[in-house]
Amino acid sequence: MPIKLKSILGLSFLLVGGCSQLHHVHIGDIDQSQGTLTPFTIKVNEFGFDAAKAAQIGAEVAKSSSTSEDLELVAFILTISNFGPKTGNPVYNDAYADEVLSEVIKACPSKKLTGLTSVREATNVGPVSGEVVRINGYCINTTQTN
Amino acid sequence: MLKNTILFSLLALSLTGCVGLNTVSMTQVPAQRDNVITTTSSSWNFIGINFSNAFVDDAIDKLKGQCPTGKIEGVYTKHQTTGYVLMFKREVIVSAYCNEV
Repeated sequence: MPIKLKSILGLSFLLVGGCSQLHHVHIGDIDQSQGTLTPFTIKVNEFGFDAAKAAQIGAEVAKSSSTSEDLELVAFILTISNFGPKTGNPVYNDAYADEVLSEVIKACPSKKLTGLTSVREATNVGPVSGEVVRINGYCINTTQTN
Repeated sequence: MLKNTILFSLLALSLTGCVGLNTVSMTQVPAQRDNVITTTSSSWNFIGINFSNAFVDDAIDKLKGQCPTGKIEGVYTKHQTTGYVLMFKREVIVSAYCNEV
């Protein structure tokens, strides 16, 4: 296959492969007995980068075979260096999800929360991704009784 | 030789597990456990390409619909992926207890 066609096909596949990945779901208790519920969503996002994949793509689109071989070696070294259990792409900030607690508390003026759902997901486009933590929940609008 | 290869491939396929259990979670289980509610929500994709995870929210809406005025407690959530040939089914299976107050 000509290298240009291969590159176009590879890039097209990357764009089409921009996909949403679901890693983890946790649905909490939902209390609908105390009043009506108002939904809210908190989402935090961090830039994820797969260097090995980037090098692999570089190897595939490289014009000279020697550059391609070098990049393949780089990709291999990066792959074995980062081998091990992981969820999504690596990020550069390990505290990006910590703010969800304060955001959840701020989301509910009534301070009564229920139905907290934690979702760990990612949106991938080639070697880069948005590593997302999403919290859905409900504020309980307590009915006033006299 | 070809016949053996095909037979061996079919045997290998039949022995291959097709369900991947992604995550399991559970909340506090209530003392009152008479009314069990369950729901599932799923999303199909081709070779793993997805554009949305909204099927999770469908599961929550269906769960709420089954217990409109009560407390949904002891929520057991299972997220699994079943692989078919080139097609994958992502699924969230939820069971819980609905307790009227």
